Amino acid sequence: MRIERTRTFAFVCLSVDSPPLTARRHFISWDRPLLPQAVAFLAGEWKGDGPLDLSTLLVVVPTQQSGRRLREALAEHAAARGQAAFPPRVFTPDRLITQGLGPDVAARLESLLAWTEILRALDLEAFRDVFPVDPPARDFNWALRLAREFTHLQAVLAEAGLRLADVNGKTGESFCEAARWQQLGELERRHAEKLAALGLRDAQAAKIAAAKNPSPLANVGKIILLATPDPLPLALDVIAVHARTLTLEVVIFAPPSEADAFDGWGRPLPPGWEHRALVLPEFEQRVHLCADPAAQAERIVAVAQGYGSPEGLLGVGVADHEVLPLLENALIRAGLAAYNPAGRARLDDGLYPLLASLAALAREPSFAAVEALARCPDFLAFLQARLGREFSAARWLEGLDELHARHLPADLSTARAQAVKLKKYPGLMPALAAIDELCATLANDEFSAGVSAALGMIFGNRQLDLVRAGDARLEDSATAWMEILRECAAAGARFPGPAKIAWWDLALQLFGESLRNEDKPAGALELQGVLELLFEDAPHLAVAGFNDGAVPDSVAGDPFLPESIREKLGLKTNAARFARDAYVLQALAACRAQGGRIDLLFGKTSAAGDPLRPSRLLLRCADAELPARIAFLFRAPEQAQANPSWTRAWRLTPRHVAAPGPVAVTALRRWLECPFRFYLRQVLGLAAVDPAKNELDARDFGALCHAALEAMGHEAALRDCTDAAVLRQFLLAELERHTRACYGEALSLPLIIQLESARQRLARAAEVQASERAAGWVIEQVEKKISVEIGGLLVKGKIDRIDRHAETGAVRVLDYKTSDSPASPRDTHLHAPRQGETPPVWAVFELDGRSRAWTDLQLPLYRHALAAEFPGAVACGYFNLPKAVGGTGLALWDEYTPELHAAAVRCAEGVCAAIRAGEFWPPNEQVRTDYDEFASLFHQGVAASVAWEEAKP
Amino acid sequence: MSIPRHVMIIPRHVMILASAGSGKTYALTNHFVKLLAHGARPERIVALTFTRKAAGEFFDEILNKLAGAARDAGRARTLASEIGQPQLGTADFLKMLRAVTEAMHRLRLGTLDSFFARIARAFPLELGLTGEFGILQEHAARLERQRVLRRMFTQTGETDGAQKEFIEAFKRATFGAEEKRLGKLLDGFLDQHQEIYLAAPDKEFWGNPARIWPGGNPWLGARSDPKLAVRALRSWFSGAEIGDKQRERWGAFLLALERWTPGATPPRELAYVLEKALAAWRELVAGRAGLEFDRKKQELDGPACAALADLVRQVVGGELARRLETTRGIFDVLRGYEAFYHDAVRRAGKLTFADVQRLLTPDGGGARPLTRDAEAVDRLYIDYRLDAEIDHWLLDEFQDTSFGQWSVLRNLIDEAVQDASGARSFFCVGDVKQAIYTTWREGDPRLFREIFNHYNAAMPGAIEEKQLVSSWRSGPALIEMVNAVFGQRVALAALFPGGAAENWNREWRDHVSAVPSRTGQAAWLQAADENARWALVLKLLQEIQPLAHGLTCAVLVQKNETAAELADFLRREGGLPAVAESDLHVGIDNPLGAALLALLQAAAHPGDTLAGEHLRMTPLGALLTGEKLDGPEALTGRVLGQIHAEGFERTIEAWLKKLEPRLAPGDAFSRKRARQFAAAAGMFDQTGSRDIAEFVQFMKLYKVRDTESATVIRVMTIHKAKGLGFDLVLLPDLEGRKLDQRREGLAVQKTPARSVEWVLDLPSEIFREHDPVLAAHVGAAEAEAGYEKLSLLYVAMTRAKRAMYVITEPVGASKSRNFPRVLADTLGANAGSVRVGALNLDGAWTSGDADWHTKLAAPAEPRQISQEIGLIKAEAAGRAPRRLARQPSAEKTGVMAAARVFALEGAVAADFGTAVHALLAEVEWVGQGGVEKFAEAWTMRGGAGEEALACLRAPELAAVWTRPDRAEVWRERAFEVVIDGAWVTGVFDRVVVERDQAGRAVRATVFDFKTDRVAGEADVAATVARHAGQLNLYRQVAAVLTGLDGAAVACELVLTRLRRLARVPRMSK
Ligand code: SF4
Repeated sequence: MRIERTRTFAFVCLSVDSPPLTARRHFISWDRPLLPQAVAFLAGEWKGDGPLDLSTLLVVVPTQQSGRRLREALAEHAAARGQAAFPPRVFTPDRLITQGLGPDVAARLESLLAWTEILRALDLEAFRDVFPVDPPARDFNWALRLAREFTHLQAVLAEAGLRLADVNGKTGESFCEAARWQQLGELERRHAEKLAALGLRDAQAAKIAAAKNPSPLANVGKIILLATPDPLPLALDVIAVHARTLTLEVVIFAPPSEADAFDGWGRPLPPGWEHRALVLPEFEQRVHLCADPAAQAERIVAVAQGYGSPEGLLGVGVADHEVLPLLENALIRAGLAAYNPAGRARLDDGLYPLLASLAALAREPSFAAVEALARCPDFLAFLQARLGREFSAARWLEGLDELHARHLPADLSTARAQAVKLKKYPGLMPALAAIDELCATLANDEFSAGVSAALGMIFGNRQLDLVRAGDARLEDSATAWMEILRECAAAGARFPGPAKIAWWDLALQLFGESLRNEDKPAGALELQGVLELLFEDAPHLAVAGFNDGAVPDSVAGDPFLPESIREKLGLKTNAARFARDAYVLQALAACRAQGGRIDLLFGKTSAAGDPLRPSRLLLRCADAELPARIAFLFRAPEQAQANPSWTRAWRLTPRHVAAPGPVAVTALRRWLECPFRFYLRQVLGLAAVDPAKNELDARDFGALCHAALEAMGHEAALRDCTDAAVLRQFLLAELERHTRACYGEALSLPLIIQLESARQRLARAAEVQASERAAGWVIEQVEKKISVEIGGLLVKGKIDRIDRHAETGAVRVLDYKTSDSPASPRDTHLHAPRQGETPPVWAVFELDGRSRAWTDLQLPLYRHALAAEFPGAVACGYFNLPKAVGGTGLALWDEYTPELHAAAVRCAEGVCAAIRAGEFWPPNEQVRTDYDEFASLFHQGVAASVAWEEAKP
Repeated sequence: MSIPRHVMIIPRHVMILASAGSGKTYALTNHFVKLLAHGARPERIVALTFTRKAAGEFFDEILNKLAGAARDAGRARTLASEIGQPQLGTADFLKMLRAVTEAMHRLRLGTLDSFFARIARAFPLELGLTGEFGILQEHAARLERQRVLRRMFTQTGETDGAQKEFIEAFKRATFGAEEKRLGKLLDGFLDQHQEIYLAAPDKEFWGNPARIWPGGNPWLGARSDPKLAVRALRSWFSGAEIGDKQRERWGAFLLALERWTPGATPPRELAYVLEKALAAWRELVAGRAGLEFDRKKQELDGPACAALADLVRQVVGGELARRLETTRGIFDVLRGYEAFYHDAVRRAGKLTFADVQRLLTPDGGGARPLTRDAEAVDRLYIDYRLDAEIDHWLLDEFQDTSFGQWSVLRNLIDEAVQDASGARSFFCVGDVKQAIYTTWREGDPRLFREIFNHYNAAMPGAIEEKQLVSSWRSGPALIEMVNAVFGQRVALAALFPGGAAENWNREWRDHVSAVPSRTGQAAWLQAADENARWALVLKLLQEIQPLAHGLTCAVLVQKNETAAELADFLRREGGLPAVAESDLHVGIDNPLGAALLALLQAAAHPGDTLAGEHLRMTPLGALLTGEKLDGPEALTGRVLGQIHAEGFERTIEAWLKKLEPRLAPGDAFSRKRARQFAAAAGMFDQTGSRDIAEFVQFMKLYKVRDTESATVIRVMTIHKAKGLGFDLVLLPDLEGRKLDQRREGLAVQKTPARSVEWVLDLPSEIFREHDPVLAAHVGAAEAEAGYEKLSLLYVAMTRAKRAMYVITEPVGASKSRNFPRVLADTLGANAGSVRVGALNLDGAWTSGDADWHTKLAAPAEPRQISQEIGLIKAEAAGRAPRRLARQPSAEKTGVMAAARVFALEGAVAADFGTAVHALLAEVEWVGQGGVEKFAEAWTMRGGAGEEALACLRAPELAAVWTRPDRAEVWRERAFEVVIDGAWVTGVFDRVVVERDQAGRAVRATVFDFKTDRVAGEADVAATVARHAGQLNLYRQVAAVLTGLDGAAVACELVLTRLRRLARVPRMSK
């Protein structure tokens, strides 16, 4: 082991805050990995005759993960001699300054709330340098967003021990934004004042104060600043104070020959690293250009797989956060475990969506909120427990969808009122009642108590078995959430202002961005940030995302702290970042020069396709080499694999079931259009649920109009009515009644508009009806049920209306049509076969010398069914109620001849026989995708998508 | 490589009109180098273009150019002379190269959009934003729109004022045609009109007759009783001496008139008479008119004329009035939506690039202009906030710059042009002949001239204009064809009667090929129909074999769908590696993706029998049965549970893993789609949503651009090919109807300064033809459309380097004014035969060498760079030790009621627990009366102090605090230890180690403080069970640290609430 003890330094240091003269610098050579050397350094003379006791040391390391690594290595070191260790206190710089700040420090939540109160009450006129224009709305959300911004600003400045008010003092005379910072300082003063009035101190102010006068470190004899190239300036202040009474040693991971490249704190000095050529041997074999983040992930996975079990051999660094999730998933896909020591945002927790849907419910008990809550597994478990064994989650969701489709309830109360009617789903009512209870619970109390009570309700019957991963995770999430809720409860007493929903927003935000630290799975590869890599001792290191902007990260353009001012304020600058990363890269490469390996991967584009550039560090070479490096790094990435051509993964194998019992007259049309779709719809009974439905569909709309017209037909008093106004009044009243009965009192926007459309159509229909009656036509029957046997199949239907002429006794059959444009019976029933279309022979006939095929058989079959009851000639046609009211009126089938009728019956027989014989093939390939309810089943041709023959039993 | 030689003298401001292939990027990068050579610092140069890709390439090219000149004296000489600095040598260029690389992170080479976003980020409060904002990409924006519509639609309650107004507006916007499907209608509305609304969000501009017809409109305002006129007309034609057919016409006219409502397209019967009447309007008004029906003239007398004129006035007036009203209705609908959208989306910090640009556009009430002058009043000073001092402006593709974009930059460029010190400059390059984004992205080719004239009028000679006409891309045969088509001034003028040809001809200069030795062929071939055109493409590719010759090759079409179909055709029929560079709906364009969506849908909506049965028809069916998930209950439980716990990506991955063995071994396609599906799911997960319906929607909208690569045949739209060059280009998709079709939708008339003058829902053709204002508007719009189409053809025909084959159907007698017509009228339609290698094909025009492809040199082997990352030898390097980590405090066991965790007061707040722990850790031993030592300080510490104190005083806990002989105590002692191969790390609350006289440990007791609320004995037992794992691990640790056997280590829970101990029995391993 080579640890050079160098003389105590009188540092020549750029920064004023150099460490005290008593500090010693030690250099740990970078010709081998840091970690074992650091452990040996700490263990010193320990012989292994008792526990390795380092408890009087305070070791400062760059990140938590570095600390973890160090402690693990200490355990290993002790275990090698059959012992255990009392470790040193291992702190990150951040921990050093947040340590023991006292109970009167405002929590983040309180700080934010104090800001929002100030901002909302502010007279913007007095702060025009901060707010040059009025914001569009000064509501709570506006204030909260700004509050976060200001809180962040305060935190950044505090890294260098500054407050907003200190900025102007550091920027020198002609600072162009002096007035703005003066006003920001004033805002900050008010903020602090507000907190003070509540007995609180601002957290950043408290840190700064504590750094000047830190509480003594009990039982610590020595501080070691271990390989921390980038400590927070404020943390150094803390150390400097402690170093007055304690020994301070600065350990630098570099050979002593590099002493001049570091300052007294072990920070790389920018002048020393800015122009230095980094030693990266075998550059072109070690630096890899990849097309995009996914390609980088794949390459790393390939290396990991190459090792079989890579743990301990391969260390992985990820510089670009965009690569991280991709890499994580690629590893998992490859069957390798991955671990992200940075933790995972609780936004991903299973509890989050439940909370979010409760929040939505609290905001407004809309039906959408009910639907979201309804699909939360925890809520389903609650219903199950509450409603007992009868309850079925699937039935409940099915019922909910049915309720949605039929009644389009906008909110919970309408939903409950309509649910009564859905007798098929008895589970709906009690489940909705439970949601209502939850709503009441949420509404009843103040925020925290309400939420806690509601959650208590939902989880009331659950037992968590902590050995089970899912339950343990829930317990962990719940604990974190309740912690926030308690904070809110405490803050609520101090800040009575925000509305309940604002509390929800706040709490959810805090929860969502808080981090969950998972346990590292066995054998997992750790995906570490660049700074953590100094403590990585695996012999092979691969770092992905080695792009400019990621290593070093750089700040460009900031609304408050542009680079020029950062420099003046002593905040971290781009130059300092560059020096740090140049050093880290050099150290990482150097310590693997013998027996190890380092690979650097960078992307040509981001996932979204934005061009990226390699890290500038990769261009730190001798000038003579630069042109070649440029050519190497800025080449086009190697050809990706050519795209495979479209291939069908499989063909669908539909069930074959026997033909159904009776079919509807209208269904024959479907068979004629496409026998296979008829099979799917009528025989297999397939129907989709449209969760996005928010207005009446064509059928709903038609049903509403029909209902009113039917009522009119039943009304004896109107039989002879020729007064359009009376008829109109009746129809509109009926429409209104049906609408309210089906959709409730409170209609949503589209319904209001659609109802209006229906009104217009019916009003016009009233006029038509009046003149038809005046012309002698009397409604004789409405909604007449018919059923005939054709080709051995029972065909059923309902005739909208049958009229008889008062004088002539002539009879006609009418069908109401509410399609957008007026329909002509002939056009809807017949079409000229297209080129290449080959309908069955019985569906085709000659009409006026041209070939015609049947599309629909509705009116002919009505006539057919009525033949016995009305032996004479019966006219047939449509009563059109199209969207352009000008088109409202009767469209009778004028040239309906007996030959035509015979052809229709022949066709009907053909269809029925085909259905009975199970003929549902081939499908129609011409159906337009946007009109095809089964489009999701088919790709590149209907017949090609389905293995119909093969699937036959 | 041959290098174009544009000798540059040093004017500060340069405008380059660069024809296709004349080296636009070359000129731009040279200019960049020239500025460097003149001492400009790289970070002071901004270069902006339109696509991210172009920006990336631009940067690569600068670096490679400098690198080339830095290591090769010959290239240095060439570059030096091109930039007019012949004295420069390799060393100078190396220095520049270093300077550029060192400033890399500060360079401003990018897209206009991202430059604007950057500015907006630096001035949020100045622009009325609140803090950070995110950019909404296209499919995200669609999703937001749907969310907003849903929220608008599900609001009920008392129809408030705004809602009533919206409904009224909606009625006005859809007059006479009440719509049932509001959602679809609104979606369509927004697609068409939202941008227009945002450009003119003031009702003043919408359907305002005073703006449209400042001099008044004679049709509007006439009101009289139509019945009278109808009667008068009827009595005239029933009595007049006209033929039956004519009389029928009149009758039909009146019938149609009665049925017609304004806004609807007039039926034939109505239009016929209307047309005639309008044509003879003057005579009609004069009271004596002859109208010709079916080639028979009929004389109308005074009363008939008056009656007809009256009716026509009412029809036209009614139509115009209705359109005006509809336009205003549309405005109100848009305003209603916008108010909602603005609240829900923009104010939440989600902006589109268009939003950002609008924010920055100075327009009176809006943003302040940008400046570099720190002293300027009412300006946004950019230097400080952006950390930039931009002296030099380089704008690429200037013909595509919109007026809005220019408005944002204008003040900054004004300052550069007017700068007296001469240290700043402005450079723009573009080609007005390639203006193919006028309707799409509001590209404004007129700007080029206007800006040039504007600056030069103020300061003659301020900007120098250069024309680049030699193509470094296309060989002579190709250039011959391009000139033969686009240089035909007369023919073009006949084809494009409006201003289109005039503008075109003014800017046209005959091209020359700068690579005269590049042999190749250009030809116009003909095929009967679409199938034949596609088959011909395949035939040509098989004949020429471009990929085998190392040639790049592209097939250009007009639409993305065509690209996808054609690429598939080439792969299927010819086995060629063809790739459609279009956006693919990877989530739903294949059976695998569809089945995954069905799986989710079936789970979330068990009543969806389509989704459920869909699953059963796929291999998932058997899989589900195998896992006993074939019932809805089980499926719903499993999938919802998975999604909530793990998110969509992990859930999808899990299912894909199960499905993988069911895919055919060679099915690379479905496997690729599987990965894309999972990646998209990952993107969706980042929104934090677990809503399945939203996810399904997202996947339906989600699109992916297939990656490009040179070793394939690229099939893409002409739009996408802009800026690219290929050795071989095929153009098989140039059919179409009318070249100068104006865009559908609202008419937007703009002032010369491009602000909106008026907006109108145009009446149908017959009405606008007879209104000079509307007719002029339509004429101008058609001219613009015609020009854009001509540009499109130009772009298509200038992509090729060596050979180009244009394939169309024969023009024949077709009257359509389409691309084939343009070719026929310029190249001549002499049907004949064209030879391409061994093929003899139908064609009408050819030049160059039909055997060019047989004379190519063998392609050079590209330099192979190894992609493999090598492995190290594990034995040699040695594995760094890694162990499983265990933390006793995280070792949770036992069962607890969930309600406990969710109780607000029930559990103890964590900081209370921490405080109690901290206080108790202060205690070493409590001797006689020692408690009082702590009492004073602790009573000040509230509840925690009281609790801690009570624990010291509790007789049941005396054993914790009383020192046995020769005992040592560890307080809050951290440890690290390896046990059973795992790394155990943690902290003891308190351990008492008793030692014998020799100092050897004989016994140890681990005390662990528990501050949670414990109620009663049963609960004590549960608590012990819960912590058994933890304490037993402590026991093992203490054993290692003391060298004792586990049996000699006792473990006690110290229940601070109950103030009692609970012993934790030793667990057998
Ligand atoms: S109101 Fe209408 S849809 Fe609802 S249950 Fe009754 S009939 Fe069915």
